[in-house]
Amino acid sequence: MELNGSQTLAATPDQVWSALFDRAVLEQAIPGCESLEQTSDTSFSAVVKLKIGPVSARFKGDVELSDIAPGLSCTLSGKGSGGIAGFAKGAARVTLTPQGAQTVLDYTADVAVGGKLAALGNRLIKATAQKLTGEFFANFNTALTCEETAPTA
Amino acid sequence: MKSPAFEYVRAESVADAMSAYAEADGDAVYLSGGHSVVPSLALRLQAPALLIDLSNIAALSGISLHDGWLRIGAMTRHVQALKDPLIAAHAPLFTAAAPFVAHPAIRNRGTLGGSLAHADPASEFPAAAVAMRAELEIASSQGIRRVPADDFFVDIYETAIEPGEVLQAIHVPSPVAGQVIGFDEIARRRGDYAMVGAAVQAVSRGSGLEDVSIALFSVGNHPVRARKAQAALTGRMIDADAIADAQAALEDDLDPPDDPQFPASMRLHLARVLLGRVLANLEAVA
Repeated sequence: MELNGSQTLAATPDQVWSALFDRAVLEQAIPGCESLEQTSDTSFSAVVKLKIGPVSARFKGDVELSDIAPGLSCTLSGKGSGGIAGFAKGAARVTLTPQGAQTVLDYTADVAVGGKLAALGNRLIKATAQKLTGEFFANFNTALTCEETAPTA
Repeated sequence: MKSPAFEYVRAESVADAMSAYAEADGDAVYLSGGHSVVPSLALRLQAPALLIDLSNIAALSGISLHDGWLRIGAMTRHVQALKDPLIAAHAPLFTAAAPFVAHPAIRNRGTLGGSLAHADPASEFPAAAVAMRAELEIASSQGIRRVPADDFFVDIYETAIEPGEVLQAIHVPSPVAGQVIGFDEIARRRGDYAMVGAAVQAVSRGSGLEDVSIALFSVGNHPVRARKAQAALTGRMIDADAIADAQAALEDDLDPPDDPQFPASMRLHLARVLLGRVLANLEAVA
């Protein structure tokens, strides 16, 4: 299943870039994130609790950043398991383009969902994935804007 | 499959139910007809610590008329929507929608309130509620409020009901003289989730249609009011031109999702075909 989209963020590409690697920002941005640990410079492990209609499950997963062109683009790949409810894995290519004082973030993701989640929710999985992606970027944008207004340490 | 272990309480009042929910720290699920909750437990898609059964609460049942509005208790079964004469007379789109909802065994247990609170994007009653301009009565610890159906459906499986709140009743304004309705859906098989569905209500006057209300379902994350199509029909008699204009207007009203089963363009096409069918077969109800 392919997902793609574009988001205009109220920050410069450099600010967006450092936020993409910032544990605190990601923790705020990921919908339902209960904990996020940085396991190396380019990898994180997360626990996410999602409640969507008849599904309420806690997913444990890992995210890794690769193909890194600093300030321009990278690939986020991840996989998560929700126990008996099923699993999800995917990879997203993210590119940043400056637009005045803002940044346009484009993403193309390929996502696969398996297990009971897929069997039960196939007809709604794409819409749900899009909704979660939308929430992620909305939160990400909010976190970025807060960062900017906060005094830099 | 067997469900995970859970505690069970049968609430005797809405206040009871809400306090049980609060005591469980939100790790609880309200049980109405159980036709979405029970399968999801059996499949272990959710594992709440507590099930709170609402079926014994008197305030959630009953169908009555007050000041031109029909109050339908949230625990009213789908089968009652099909057979109850008050619902047929005062909330006719629920009656028209009921035969399309799943199968008889499910309709005997499933409830109107459960269907609306669950808010599956492909379900019939939410769209009928939007088309009839129904209002939803929600109880919270702060009191009771009424939310218009247009504001009630927020996103996929997401409504104006906050965690712990209880949907008590559905209020539907009674039909006025000249009211016409239509309901239909396209599904692969009878009883399957609709690929696209339409609920239409309007008032037919000598000069044309007024107060046109069109809700489409299974075309987005929640029932969608087709405002452009409504405008295209307002003040006009139903004829081939008016129907064609309403069909054309759907392009601006809908932004259907692409999904792995069929593309957005096919959904839009089906929505147009279906709207044409429904408009050509509007029935007088008052």
